[in-house]
Amino acid sequence: MAEQEYIAEMRHITKRFPGVVANNDISLSIRKGEIFALLGENGAGKSTLMSILFGLYEPDEGELIIRGKPVRISSPSHAAKLSIGMVHQHFRLVENFTVTENIVLGLEPTRRLLGLLPYVDLKTANREIAELSRRYGLEVEPTAVIEEIGVSMRQRVEILKMLYRGAEILIFDEPTAMLAPQEIEYLLKILLSLREGGKTIILISHKLAEIKQVADRCAILNRGKLVGLFDVADTSTQQMASVMVGRELAPEEPPPPMEFGAEVLRVDKLNVLNIDKFPVVKDVSFGVRAGEIFAIAGVDGNGQVEVADAIAGLAKLHSGTITLAGTDITGASIRERTELGLAFVPEDRQSTGLVLDFALDRNLALRRYYKLPINVRGVLNNRAISDDAVGLIEQYDIRAGRGGATQVRSMSGGNQQKAIVAREIETGAGLMIFVQPTRGLDIGATRAIHRHILDQRALGKAILLISLELDEVMALADTVGVMYGGEMTRIAPLSDLSYDEIGAYMMGVGNSAEVTE
Amino acid sequence: MKKRPHIFTRLLGDSKLQPFVIPVFSVVCSLAAASIVLLIIGRNPLIAFRSILQGAGLLPRGSYSAGKGMLTDLLNTLSALTPMIFAALGVTVAFKAGLFNIGVSGQMLFAGYIASVTIGYSDLPAYAARPLVLLIGFACGALIGALIGLLKHRFNINEVVSSIMINYILQYVIGFFILTRHIDPVSRQSVAVSAAARLVPQSVHYGTLKGDLPLCILLAIIVAFILRFVINRTRYGFDLLAVGANPKAARYAGIRVGSTVVTSMTLSGALAGLAGVTHYLGYYNSIQPKSLTSVGFDSIAVSLLGNGNPVGVLFSSLLVTVIDKGSTYMSSMVKVEREIAAVITGLILLFSACGAYFKYLAERNQLAATGEPANSEKKDDGEGDA
Amino acid sequence: MDVVIIDGLSYALPLLCIAIGGIYSERSGVTNLALEGLLGAGAFIGALFVAFFGGYFPTGSLPLMFIAMACAMVGGALYAMLHGLLCVKFRANQVISGVVINILAMAITVFLTRQINSTLFKSSDKIQLGVSPRFDVPWLSKIPIIGAVFKSVYPFEVIIVAVVAIMWYILYRTRFGMRLRACGDNPHAVDSAGLSVQRTRFAAVMISGALTGLGGISFAYSISANFSSSIYTGAGYLAIAALIFGNWKIIPTVGACLLFGLARSGGYRLANVLALPSSFSDLIMILPYVLTLLVLIFFSGTNRAPRALGEIYDKGKR
Repeated sequence: MAEQEYIAEMRHITKRFPGVVANNDISLSIRKGEIFALLGENGAGKSTLMSILFGLYEPDEGELIIRGKPVRISSPSHAAKLSIGMVHQHFRLVENFTVTENIVLGLEPTRRLLGLLPYVDLKTANREIAELSRRYGLEVEPTAVIEEIGVSMRQRVEILKMLYRGAEILIFDEPTAMLAPQEIEYLLKILLSLREGGKTIILISHKLAEIKQVADRCAILNRGKLVGLFDVADTSTQQMASVMVGRELAPEEPPPPMEFGAEVLRVDKLNVLNIDKFPVVKDVSFGVRAGEIFAIAGVDGNGQVEVADAIAGLAKLHSGTITLAGTDITGASIRERTELGLAFVPEDRQSTGLVLDFALDRNLALRRYYKLPINVRGVLNNRAISDDAVGLIEQYDIRAGRGGATQVRSMSGGNQQKAIVAREIETGAGLMIFVQPTRGLDIGATRAIHRHILDQRALGKAILLISLELDEVMALADTVGVMYGGEMTRIAPLSDLSYDEIGAYMMGVGNSAEVTE
Repeated sequence: MKKRPHIFTRLLGDSKLQPFVIPVFSVVCSLAAASIVLLIIGRNPLIAFRSILQGAGLLPRGSYSAGKGMLTDLLNTLSALTPMIFAALGVTVAFKAGLFNIGVSGQMLFAGYIASVTIGYSDLPAYAARPLVLLIGFACGALIGALIGLLKHRFNINEVVSSIMINYILQYVIGFFILTRHIDPVSRQSVAVSAAARLVPQSVHYGTLKGDLPLCILLAIIVAFILRFVINRTRYGFDLLAVGANPKAARYAGIRVGSTVVTSMTLSGALAGLAGVTHYLGYYNSIQPKSLTSVGFDSIAVSLLGNGNPVGVLFSSLLVTVIDKGSTYMSSMVKVEREIAAVITGLILLFSACGAYFKYLAERNQLAATGEPANSEKKDDGEGDA
Repeated sequence: MDVVIIDGLSYALPLLCIAIGGIYSERSGVTNLALEGLLGAGAFIGALFVAFFGGYFPTGSLPLMFIAMACAMVGGALYAMLHGLLCVKFRANQVISGVVINILAMAITVFLTRQINSTLFKSSDKIQLGVSPRFDVPWLSKIPIIGAVFKSVYPFEVIIVAVVAIMWYILYRTRFGMRLRACGDNPHAVDSAGLSVQRTRFAAVMISGALTGLGGISFAYSISANFSSSIYTGAGYLAIAALIFGNWKIIPTVGACLLFGLARSGGYRLANVLALPSSFSDLIMILPYVLTLLVLIFFSGTNRAPRALGEIYDKGKR
């Protein structure tokens, strides 16, 4: 009978991928009605383990026991039949469908027109969704189209998708990664109320504070192995952190104070429109000085990326001026900007920062191939390309199987990012823009990138950092600009701002209004 | 994942052998398929394939009429090969830039027609006429290519759709002019161009035999090597490849994607123009109104088969031209419609199009072998526990 | 005026049928440049039935024509499987696959038409079909001007109108249609809802083939009156232009096709009225193509293709 206490059990689960043991003999038992946190660094094996429970992968060894019965979960729909649901980190929503259509997709209520022709009964569906959303306190607009709603509501749609399917075990994969602090609070409340409603929740996260706040128990994975299982109430976050990293991790040192130099970048009344001619950046003005890290904080989709793209020349600006080192670059081409000293680490390393089908050496030359010594009267000097690559690979510790000849596609995300950072730093530009430079990287790689950023600051470069991780902003910034709804609502030295204050501005409420979400 | 790759997949999947194995595999598959068709209609495929080689001048026929021999057939094949190489190089350049030039036939027709009415119908001496024909062909093809490139760049029109439309427009408009102005009432073709302007001098004596003198075949081969150099070793080639592989990253690197699209399409068109003049004022000396030559479409197969390598294209051009040239003789020898040549080419195309699949299998196999986790597998996963 | 409407409709409706085939495929996320080949392959299978079994039916028999149409739909669907296989299973570049399918269709149908004709019927390189009979709708055809819509109607026009209505209903009102549209926007959403993206896309491509085959045989029964290489006039590409013009939606695409059809018949009528010599009809022939280019120049920029169009969906990626 004791078995019944556990709603899901994983016994001796092992999953291998080519060259990696993602899960190594992991055994976990999850109680009905608890919030169970799964903690670990990027690459520790959390997502793989949950993907096995969700039917995306089959384990190489071990067994799954759901409600006391051994099962093989072959697909997500099979998982759904066992009332297991998952909210992925990247939402899986149909952008041009309504909230209701997204929720009912796959289980659409149908009726028959004239008792004959079947059709999807959206009226009933809308009613059901409204009712469901009321019951769990998950506020959504059933008839709103997804492309017109924000991240937070999208996430609620994902949760409702699971509830609509009658899920009892709810898996959340890094649910707070894209949310502002206040939205995170709101989500955590939802998790607690779901638990109240008898649901079992598995929370994948690497944010200790959140786990401490809501979770009952917590399992910690490191390099594919289960290294710890704690009752959260009895464990300090420091204990959890050291187990997670597998060693004592010294906190990152705050950047040393700097004398700022002259203003390198000046952005004045910048306006950017998206493809639908809708303003996404409104009258944004700021400056970045030499030796200063100016960080733009904000929830995803509030215009930060567009600001960076406009400065780099990737997005067309509608009005305003951009000045780089005293030169007006508003209408300059991308290459002219590069020549004037602008380096850019883009948000999406794979689709923008690299040509995945090119070899590493050509990717490292992407910013310089058109100049001497590589380009000699129109003909490329392959020797110069590969010599440069050898130097950078060594200097920046880029791990690539076949050196400069490695196809970038086959490299790991961390090494791809190192390659981009190496290339951009090597341009010697006076202004460096980093957009989400550590997204998806593990702690080691993240720290290496942070060190590079701080080194550049020490060299007197002006640095514009755009990050969705408030922790990263707090760790690096000299000055913070917060963007909300395309506007820069607050600019201040970091020392004048508190974590909560920035969070409030990220929600567009400043420090006066109340947080309503 | 755990399944051991089939020997077959392993052979196809080896990334070093791939450039050779995949085309050979495609050709073998399509010949096998053609053999099945031939067997069904009761013909001996081996005899059919032998007669293709005989018809194309690669094997001796049983008998020849006076003044003809294997060399005659071979020279004729070479003069048909010339436009095929140019056309396929044109398609290849576009492919490299991520574009699909299916308008080669139209560009050929335009170049051939303009060169015919300007130089072909003049009485310029050969030493002036022939270079001018090449030049005009080059320029006319470039013009149409540039137009397609501009439509893509400025108006975001898929180049496949626009080039098909332009193909039809050119076909009818040029057909109209030929029918109303330059028609030869006997042949129902355009009036023949002057011998001086024709790029392939006819009935040249080779000992006892008479045959074509395919002047431009050398040029075609040289152009293939130049193109390989341009693509792999020059700054322009770097731009082109980057735009073809990832336009977003190319733009980020400061490459002007739009103008690269336009110039590469222009270059592609120019090569198609050379194909046009070597076809209509070389292999032939007149234009059939209201029709497009199949060379333009076959060249797509040739380019795919050549794996995007200009030098590989030389070999695949030869293969497809031989099948086409030999088909007439085969048709008379084994009593099967000569259109089977087009079917074989089409099948080669079909199997070549699956090349990406083999490459994909290869990538997966490589993974299994080296254990290097491919990053693309977790592209959107943020965390990516691989 | 009547002639313009009558001819315009008899061209526009098959074109519309093909365009809707294209919409089905593209809304599911599979780029379909293979329409030209699909319409030829479908029409060929229909014509083949007539070539073999036409003798058992009286001349101008309607049942024969209907069976031929059904065969064309089946033939188109079967041939479309090849595109589906290449795009969905073999991860081929969808644009290349489309063009390959077209070239192969032309080669095979022309070869087989000749081969079959020369071995079995000892005749030409065409399969004769004859022109479908026409009829006037009683009462309605008497209305001035608008009545022309109901005058000299080909039976296939009625079928196509019905098919278009059904296809609209399926795409926008049923489960299948909803899932199909979801596949073209975010296949991952479909997958995580426990549905098969591959199967839905495959079905969409086959439907595309069936509709295109129907459009193809309708052309064969009206404009060319036979099956031969002359079936390949680029209607498949015009249909693509029409559906881009129609923003991948059925109702606006109806308008686009009507515009193309009426422009074409209007052009011919004009040449007729001006008593131009027959060679000028070649110039009139370019009208739809020029129109297509113009339409694309003005609308390509603003229109939005389905979000996942042309993307290879790889389940293993997740």
